[in-house]
Amino acid sequence: MAENQPLAPASEGALDMDQVEYTLRKRLPRKLPKRKNDIYVNMKTDFKAQLARCQKMLDSGCFSEICIHGLGLAINRAINIALQLQGGSFGALQIAANTSTVELVDDLELDEGEPLTRTRNNSAIHIKVFHTLPK
Amino acid sequence: MSGVNRKEKKYAKLMRNQPSNFTFSSADPGAGRSGMGPSEPQTDNPNYSCFTSHQGVNGDHGQQQQVGSSHQPSSYGDRQRGSHRGGFRGQRGSSRGSYRSYSQEIPKIITATNFAQARAAEINAMLKAVTHKSGSQFLQSLPPAMRRRAMSHNLKRLPRRLREIAKKEVEKIAQLKKEQSKSKSRKARRRHGNLLMEFNRRQRKNIWLETHIWHAKRFHMVKKWGYCLGTKPTTKSYRACYRAMSKQCLLQDLSYYCCLELNGTEDNLLKTLTCLSSREAGTTFASVACLSGKCQGSLVLYKADQYPEKPLGPVTFLWRPKTLSENRQLWIWAHPALKMDLLTELQLVCQCLDVPVPEPAPSECRTVTRTPVKQAKVIGSKRKLHDKAGEQVVPEKKIIGNGTRDPLETVIWTSLTTGIVIEDLTMEILRYRLIGPLSHCVMFEAIQAAGILKNSEGREETGLHSWWSEYCESPENVTLHNRQEGVLLLLPGIASPAEISAGTVLGLTVGDPRLNMPKNRTTAMPDPTQPKDLEKIRELCLNGVGAECAQSQIWDRNIRNIVTETKITEQELNGMRSKLLVPGTRLDLGPQESKIPILLVQQPGKMAGQEHTGWGSGWDILIPKGWGMAFWIPLIYRGARAGGLQEGAKHTQYKGLPHFPDDFPDCPAGMQHSEETEKELIAKYKKYPPAKRPNYIHHGTMTPFRCPWQRLVEDWETQNQDGGIKPTMSDQEQGLRSELQASNREAVGVHEKGAFEEISSEEKPPNLEEKMEEESESMTTLEQNTGCKNIHNPSNRDCSSKSGHVSILRNRKLLKQVSAWCRPTSSRGQQTRQYRGSAPVQMTADTVKSVICSYPRFLVWVRLSLLKKGSPVANATICIPSKEDLQRLASEPNCSGPQEPKHRDPFKQECKALRKSQKKRTLPQDSETAAGDLERKSASSFGKVLIRGLWPTQPLNVMSHCSRLTIGYVSQGDFSLTVGCGEAWGFVSLLGLLRMVLSQPAERRGLALVRSPASLQYRFAKINIEV
Repeated sequence: MAENQPLAPASEGALDMDQVEYTLRKRLPRKLPKRKNDIYVNMKTDFKAQLARCQKMLDSGCFSEICIHGLGLAINRAINIALQLQGGSFGALQIAANTSTVELVDDLELDEGEPLTRTRNNSAIHIKVFHTLPK
Repeated sequence: MSGVNRKEKKYAKLMRNQPSNFTFSSADPGAGRSGMGPSEPQTDNPNYSCFTSHQGVNGDHGQQQQVGSSHQPSSYGDRQRGSHRGGFRGQRGSSRGSYRSYSQEIPKIITATNFAQARAAEINAMLKAVTHKSGSQFLQSLPPAMRRRAMSHNLKRLPRRLREIAKKEVEKIAQLKKEQSKSKSRKARRRHGNLLMEFNRRQRKNIWLETHIWHAKRFHMVKKWGYCLGTKPTTKSYRACYRAMSKQCLLQDLSYYCCLELNGTEDNLLKTLTCLSSREAGTTFASVACLSGKCQGSLVLYKADQYPEKPLGPVTFLWRPKTLSENRQLWIWAHPALKMDLLTELQLVCQCLDVPVPEPAPSECRTVTRTPVKQAKVIGSKRKLHDKAGEQVVPEKKIIGNGTRDPLETVIWTSLTTGIVIEDLTMEILRYRLIGPLSHCVMFEAIQAAGILKNSEGREETGLHSWWSEYCESPENVTLHNRQEGVLLLLPGIASPAEISAGTVLGLTVGDPRLNMPKNRTTAMPDPTQPKDLEKIRELCLNGVGAECAQSQIWDRNIRNIVTETKITEQELNGMRSKLLVPGTRLDLGPQESKIPILLVQQPGKMAGQEHTGWGSGWDILIPKGWGMAFWIPLIYRGARAGGLQEGAKHTQYKGLPHFPDDFPDCPAGMQHSEETEKELIAKYKKYPPAKRPNYIHHGTMTPFRCPWQRLVEDWETQNQDGGIKPTMSDQEQGLRSELQASNREAVGVHEKGAFEEISSEEKPPNLEEKMEEESESMTTLEQNTGCKNIHNPSNRDCSSKSGHVSILRNRKLLKQVSAWCRPTSSRGQQTRQYRGSAPVQMTADTVKSVICSYPRFLVWVRLSLLKKGSPVANATICIPSKEDLQRLASEPNCSGPQEPKHRDPFKQECKALRKSQKKRTLPQDSETAAGDLERKSASSFGKVLIRGLWPTQPLNVMSHCSRLTIGYVSQGDFSLTVGCGEAWGFVSLLGLLRMVLSQPAERRGLALVRSPASLQYRFAKINIEV
């Protein structure tokens, strides 16, 4: 996929990447506008805490559905959270998953010459958890 | 205590009118006499007789004088009372006694004229003292028993015989007070013109930023580096400011940073500037991306050809994108503490010393009226447009820019040989920093690109802004402006400034930001409903802004001046607003609207390390001077929170970067800063009573108020050479280490590559043999490197060891290597990830040794994150944990760390003795003992200053003073709000660090102990070196 990108510097970078020493700096993934019922899952926060946060949000009654997003390594965890929510609800909750691809940008800092940017892709998942019967 | 104070005050009052050759001395009763004249006989009896004979001549005054000298601390009032009571004779007797014991060297001859002159002066002084009556004299003339409450308030409480005198006195005082009182009422002082004058007067010493008044109302102000700066808000907002930095937007006025402009051909500039920095340390002036003007670079400058010693300090620099002319412009932004060093060094390098060119045509904006004579007149009289002589009073102008500078002082230096022109642009360009993910939205809402003038709109219509209409005449400029505007419009589609490439520069010309201000303070939020051009945003993120978009007219000095001059004042603007047909609508000035060229510079957030990347990213706005408040208020009204120096320091701290000047102990500015802070802290420490302050000697802290970098490095070097001073308590010596030391001993002083190889082949520690064979290739490459280095600059190394200077390791390659060594090997194979180009150098005794030999006295910047409890403070020690400590940590993960045993205070007795003698001296006593005490005191004060609880002498062995070996010190530490645990930033000795890491097991590498200066508790911390 990365080869298909019409980016000249990236393809050039791939060539001499092996010869020249560089520093890789990953930029933050693009942040999307966030609604109140969006939950971005990460790998740093405790799993239990994230699960509790989702549960609380659902129980509060403010939202009929919440959206759980996970990127890369956190996909597993996002799925896990969604399934746990569903399992704990005795059938009151349903889930619907969507996958997508997120483009990430890396900076390659060379000791000499122009710094390069490179794109790579990572998978992401967006799980909608909603009440089967709206209250 | 208060009684003593009062006495002192009275004494001071009494001494006010004394001639200079007449002095009382409170310590030695005889000493008062020495002032009486150069000539007095020596032996006892003749002395006295002679004196009395003179007294006879002087009469009554002579007697009084005697009393004065014998009865020292008593004031004039006391004396008078004494005479009331008639206790005069007895005092005289006692004074006679003291003259007998008087045995000082006295000349044998008296010159009559001199003696008489001196006496006459004394008499005059006394007469003056007697005739001059201080305010409450009439009250003091009454004996205490006759005094009544509030006598001075109600004169009828005085005895009748004194009332007349008292009345006169009171009137006199009232008149005096009237004369002294300020000539102006508060209302008059607050009038605009007078206020401005007062402000201008106050700005002469320390430069005020343009936002000074705004800040002074809301911030704690300090005078630092010749500026008045706000440290922190007066409101309780430490956490609020942190939240603003990490989630919203924090605004900081960085206009106090100094800008130096270099002008010359690119080749010349690069040629002269290369010697100031090194490729090893990262960016240089010649870095490709920076040279095109596309992005801002930052680097640490060194004195010419002195790398890696003698750094000057960190700067950021900005090249102007190529224009039609051959010359290029370079801006170097530096901290004011560093500016003078930098300027002299630049002049030296560019050979600009000889030809200081006086400032060209004085720009009108800098015309600050300085007519002291007239000012004095104006202050005295009421506000009039014409003063008495009928001449026009020049109205005071607001100081814009640097108010402290002498207008004749040169700010431009030209070099004849290289053609480079250096210009000091201090306070010519303002710099505001927006930090936080919302800085995008704030900026976008506050700033709007200027409208392009059509050709049809004539120049006469634009009036003042003719430069803009001229600029718009060329179609290329118009397209460029449109492109820049397009980029600005894309910005709200990006959620955080960290998403675009670091240091991106965007030039713009914007309209007056005051025109579209909201009525109330709002919070700018991203608008998700807005349609976005995703493809273009992606393009922007990937490729950044083109180099030509970084072009801005702010680089042009003339245009800057025009823009500053033609600013519409707030008053005029409000006047126009009031004439609007529908009140409250937006004022549309059309072509009359000011156009301001600005630069937007992206500030990368946290770059180093793996965690929290992009934290604290934001934008810098560069504005021509004069427009400060016009931009500040709109930004504030868009929901930016203002921060001061404290917030700025926290920002750099959480980004993991050293803060200037605190964390640059090798720079001259940093050294000066540490000295100053030490003095302040000692003064503060001394204010507390000994029982209420920590005894740092007991805590084993030799230098609680500064970090003795040089001693530390020297200690480690000597230890490395001698091969082992053991810490006083632990036995963490192990086989590997002693082996290493043995080999080191031989390796010291050997610089040739061949010798290295010889040693490494002969003295391989047996337990490392297999490992070494595996890594032999990479290792030899490293050795070659270091060997070459040694051959190339042996002189540098020699001078470093001689001068005893401390250097900080900024070689990126080596830092990366050391950083990899400090990480525990078990963690997800991070080491290999960073070095795809060349194979990583494994840590072995020999590679370490070679590093040690080539960098013997270097410090490394580290970040320490505490494992459990505790938040270290500045000047805490970083120590090597002993083997038992690590074992204990492994067996019980919840243990808080070892304790330092309490140290003995060897200076306690000395301190006590000194205190006792001081106490004794204050009591009245014989002159002999007093002299003895004085001697003793001077002896003790010559050697060292004893303060209880502080180590009095220069620290000798800072490394092994405590039970754990010290490898470094914390320069700033705090509870980190980003990580949620105690964090510290500081330097460790490279030697000590490598020694520590070598001796630790692979899975527990990089664990150190931190101990605050006023605590005995060591805490475990993880060392991170982030490159």
